[in-house]
Amino acid sequence: MPAIVVAAMSEKKIRPEDDGRDFADAAWSIPSYLLSGMIFYGGAGWLLSKWTGVVAFTPIGLILGVALAVYLVYRKYGR
Amino acid sequence: MSTLTLLTAPEDKFTPPGLELFDLPPIIAGVTWFTKPVLLALLSSVIVIAFCWAAFANPKIVPRGVQNVAEMGYMFVRDQVARPFLGKDADRWMGLLLSIFFMVWIWNLMGVVPVFQFPVASHIAFPIVLALSIYILKIYLGVKHQGLVGYFKNMMFPPGLPKPIYVLMAPLEFLSNMIIAPFTHAVRLFANMFAGHIILAFFSLVGFWFLFEKLTPLGAPLGVIGVVMTIAMTGFEMFIQFLQAFLFSMLAAMYIGNSLHAEH
Repeated sequence: MPAIVVAAMSEKKIRPEDDGRDFADAAWSIPSYLLSGMIFYGGAGWLLSKWTGVVAFTPIGLILGVALAVYLVYRKYGR
Repeated sequence: MSTLTLLTAPEDKFTPPGLELFDLPPIIAGVTWFTKPVLLALLSSVIVIAFCWAAFANPKIVPRGVQNVAEMGYMFVRDQVARPFLGKDADRWMGLLLSIFFMVWIWNLMGVVPVFQFPVASHIAFPIVLALSIYILKIYLGVKHQGLVGYFKNMMFPPGLPKPIYVLMAPLEFLSNMIIAPFTHAVRLFANMFAGHIILAFFSLVGFWFLFEKLTPLGAPLGVIGVVMTIAMTGFEMFIQFLQAFLFSMLAAMYIGNSLHAEH
């Protein structure tokens, strides 16, 4: 089959509703993931810095959390 | 009015409105729970029920009057809110989504209706109750359609990630879906209405203070700016009120949709 026919056929399978759903899903989930990343790993870092006395664990946790959240968003929605 | 009590401050200084705007006394002395937002919330329910009753109790094939207006609202909610997230299940959930949309919109509109002038959702208890009902419904539907284990497995371990990453990601998924999402659902509506009410109160007080209370040649232009900004901000606020009602019902549809069908 010519490539253009395959492309046209596969395009037909994507319903516009699904497209809208995925986009809105991503748009509304991303802030929530970033926030969770900061809260969870930032919180873990804060606890660790309280326990060990090494202040640097809090910012490390925060940055690690955001990085993990960005990676999660990338794997889930960025294709 | 609460603005008048503000103006009788001992000093002749302009004091911007603050949190006292939201601290309203009981309407009937002694009945502490019955305040202005409660009255407006009850009134909003009556308005929504009466409106839908007038429109849909005796529907005509060729709609006229109220039915026409209500059908525009119905079509908007169905096409913009329900169908994108629920697909073929959309019609089953229209009753809930339409009620939420109209309810929240009327709540918000109370902020600019003369005399009432108080957005119900600027007291956080009201959006919390709505968001909490959607949250309970979301978990109930998720457990019912995906099973107790399946629901949390689909939520915390979505397919398509490398295996070792799940240890790091599962807490993020759980926190994001179970705690942050319902929290922001309620706070987004509350904060928008709260801030909007303060902005409107501030500009109208500037206009009132510099044009009526302390009219001076230098202050008058400032008062004019206050009046103009009040009008402009009222228009802007009405847009925000509609937008927040739309977003609130849209997010409700999104949570319901994600519980009915696991993410893929």
